[in-house]
Amino acid sequence: MKLSPLSVPYRVAQKAGSLLFSLVILFFTGVTGLQQALGAAGLLLAVGVLFAVGFALVGYEVAYYRHYEYELTNDTFDIRSGVFSRRTREIPLARIQNVDISRNVVQRFLDIAAVDFETAGGSETEAAIRYVSFEEAKRLQRDIGRRKRGDSEDDDESAKDETELLFALSDRELALVGLLSFDLRVPGIVAFVASSSVPILSSVIPSLSELTVLAVGGVLLAVGILLFSWVVGIVVAVLNYYDFRLSQTTGELRYERGLVQRYDGSIPFDKVQTLTIEENPLKRRFGYATLAIETAGYAPGQGGSYGSEAAIPLASVDRVLSLARDIDGFGEFDFRRPPKRIRRRYVGRYLIALGVVLAAFYGVNYALGGSYPWYVAAVALPVIPVAAHYKWKHRGYWLDDRHVVTRNGFWNRQTRVVPYHRIQTIIDSRTLFQRRWRVATVTVDTAGSRSLAARDAAAVDVDREVAGRLRSTLETRLRESLVARRREGVEDGDGGARKSEGTGTADDNPAHAADSVHSDSEHADDAGSPNDDDGPSTI
Amino acid sequence: MMRLHPRVQLLWSLRALITAAVVGAFATVLNVFVFDRTMWLPVAVFLVVLAFGVGVAILRYRYWRYEVRNDSLYLERGVFTRVRTVVPFVRIQHVDSSRSPVERIAGLATTVVYTAGSRGADVTIPGLSASGSDELQERIKRLAIRAEGDDAV
Repeated sequence: MKLSPLSVPYRVAQKAGSLLFSLVILFFTGVTGLQQALGAAGLLLAVGVLFAVGFALVGYEVAYYRHYEYELTNDTFDIRSGVFSRRTREIPLARIQNVDISRNVVQRFLDIAAVDFETAGGSETEAAIRYVSFEEAKRLQRDIGRRKRGDSEDDDESAKDETELLFALSDRELALVGLLSFDLRVPGIVAFVASSSVPILSSVIPSLSELTVLAVGGVLLAVGILLFSWVVGIVVAVLNYYDFRLSQTTGELRYERGLVQRYDGSIPFDKVQTLTIEENPLKRRFGYATLAIETAGYAPGQGGSYGSEAAIPLASVDRVLSLARDIDGFGEFDFRRPPKRIRRRYVGRYLIALGVVLAAFYGVNYALGGSYPWYVAAVALPVIPVAAHYKWKHRGYWLDDRHVVTRNGFWNRQTRVVPYHRIQTIIDSRTLFQRRWRVATVTVDTAGSRSLAARDAAAVDVDREVAGRLRSTLETRLRESLVARRREGVEDGDGGARKSEGTGTADDNPAHAADSVHSDSEHADDAGSPNDDDGPSTI
Repeated sequence: MMRLHPRVQLLWSLRALITAAVVGAFATVLNVFVFDRTMWLPVAVFLVVLAFGVGVAILRYRYWRYEVRNDSLYLERGVFTRVRTVVPFVRIQHVDSSRSPVERIAGLATTVVYTAGSRGADVTIPGLSASGSDELQERIKRLAIRAEGDDAV
C-alpha cells in the first residue's frame, strides 16, 4: 500500500514552511550579493537557486512517496521506505500495543491522518506513517486489532465493527475538567517573568517601602499565577478533551478526543497494565474522579501530552469505578492501612518541614532587616496532626483474588489496580527511617508507560512482617495467575474480551494465600494496641 | 544465599578513593583561593570522605546477597535503604554480562537482568568472578527460557 497522494503536497508545504525563514534570508542576501557581483544575471541566478531548492524539495518528497510501501500481512506489519538508504521493518502484530491516529486542522481539511504504532520496546514510536487518508488509517487500526485476534479474513460481516460506546464526555463535564485542572508547568514561567516587574512596581509606588511592595506583590503574584495556570488549564483541557469518547469493540478500547488536533487511538484489552483512579480534594469533594488506562506502549500522543491520554478525564466516581470494572473486573475496595503508629512519623516529618520554612522566613526577615512577623507560619502547627492523620488515612493496599490495589496521596490520591499477571518485579525497600519504625514499602513494578516517572503501585509504610509476607504472596499469585492464564489460553484460544474472563478465573485463583496476609495486616491495623506504641518516637 | 566476590570491596573502595580525591582536590582549590587556611583542611576532608566511602563499600558487601530460586531471582542489598527484589523468571527479557575495564583488571564482572518493567535495569548483580558471571548468565537464561510465558508483557 502507498501513502495518500495528498501527503506529497502536505509534506512539501510542511518542509517549506520550516525552511521558509532561512530561504528568505538566503534569497535576499544572495540577491544583493550576486547583484553587486554579476548585475542582472545575479538576480536570475538567485531565482534559479531558489527554484532548484524548490525542485529538490518536491523531488525528494515525490521519491519518498514512490518508495514508501507498507503492507499488513496476517502476522506482521511491514514498511519499506527510504530514498537514499532503504529500510525494511517488520513488526509482529502481537507486539503492537496501540495504534494512534492524529489529525490537525489542515490534515482534517485534506482528509489525511498520521498513524503511530506503539510497541512495548524502546522509548519511541515503533513506526510512524506520515499521512494516509483517514479512512485508510481507520482501516489499519481496525484490521490490526482484528488480525491480532486471529480473524484473518476481512469478511464483510466482521468489517462492520461492533462498537459499543462506553463513555462520552458531556459539555458540562468538559467544563468541569477545565475548571478542576491546573496547569502546574506554567507557574514557573510566570513567576520568572513577573518577578522582574517588582523593581518597576516599587518605582511606580514610591510611597511604600520596597519590602512592603515585595510582600504585597508576592501575594498578588501568587494569586495571579494561580489564576493564570487555572485559565491555561481550562484551555488545555478543552483543547485536549473536546468531544472525548471511549468505546469498546471486540478486544479493544477506542478513544477519540481533541478540538484542534484530533486523536483517535486503540488500546487492546489484553495489553492493559494498570488502571489508575486519581482524585484531588476538589474532585473528591464533588464526587468526581479521573481514570488512566496504562499500556506498555509509550503513552499515546506523547508529544506535548498530558500524562496518559488514554484516560477518562473526569466522571462521577461511580461511573469511573464501573467503567474500570468493565475493563478489568476487580471487587470492592477494602484497604489495609499502614499501622497507626506511622502517623507519628508523619507528624515528625511535617514538623521538620515547618521548621525549615520558619527558619527560611526568619533568615529572610533577618537579612532584610525588617520586622515582619516571620513566625506567622507557625499557625500551621495545629494542622500538622490532622494532616498526618489524613496522610495515613489515604494510604493502603488491598489484595483481591486477581488484583493488587494500592492507594496513596492525600492531595492527588491515586488508586492503582494491578492484575497479578502484570507484575514484573517486586521490590521491598526500607529506608533508614522506615527501619526505625519497623515498616517497609512494597513496590509493584509493571511495564506501564507511566511507571517511567516512578509512579508504580506501592504499599507504603506497611508493617515489616506484613511487607515480607506481601512480597512472597505477590510472587506466588503472579506465578499462579500466569499458569491459570496459560491453561485458559489453551482451552479457549487466547484473546477475546477480557470481560468474559472476569468470572472465569476467579475460582482458579487460590484465595488461601491472601488470607494469611490479610489477617496479619488486620492485626497490624489494630494499632493503638500497647505493643504498637513501644516504637521509637523519633523519626 | 550467595555472597559477592570479596574483591568487589576493593573495587568499591577504589571508587571511593577517586571520589575522595576529587572532593579533596576541590577542597584544596577552595582552600587556596578562598579560605587561605592551612593545608590540613583538605587533607582532613579527603580522609573523612575516603573513610566514609570505604566504610560504605565494606558494609555494602556485607549486606549484598542474592539467590537463584526455583522460579525467581532474589536480591537483598543496601546500606541505608535495604532493598529486597524479586524477579520472576517469566518476566526476564534478557540477561547481560558486562565487564568494565576496571572490573577486568580486578577479574570481576557484572550480570544485569532486564525485565519489561521500568526498573528492570536496576536488577544488577555486581562483583561476580568472570566465570561466575558467565555461569549465572547462562543459568538465568536457561531458567528464563524454561519459564517462558506467552508474552513477557
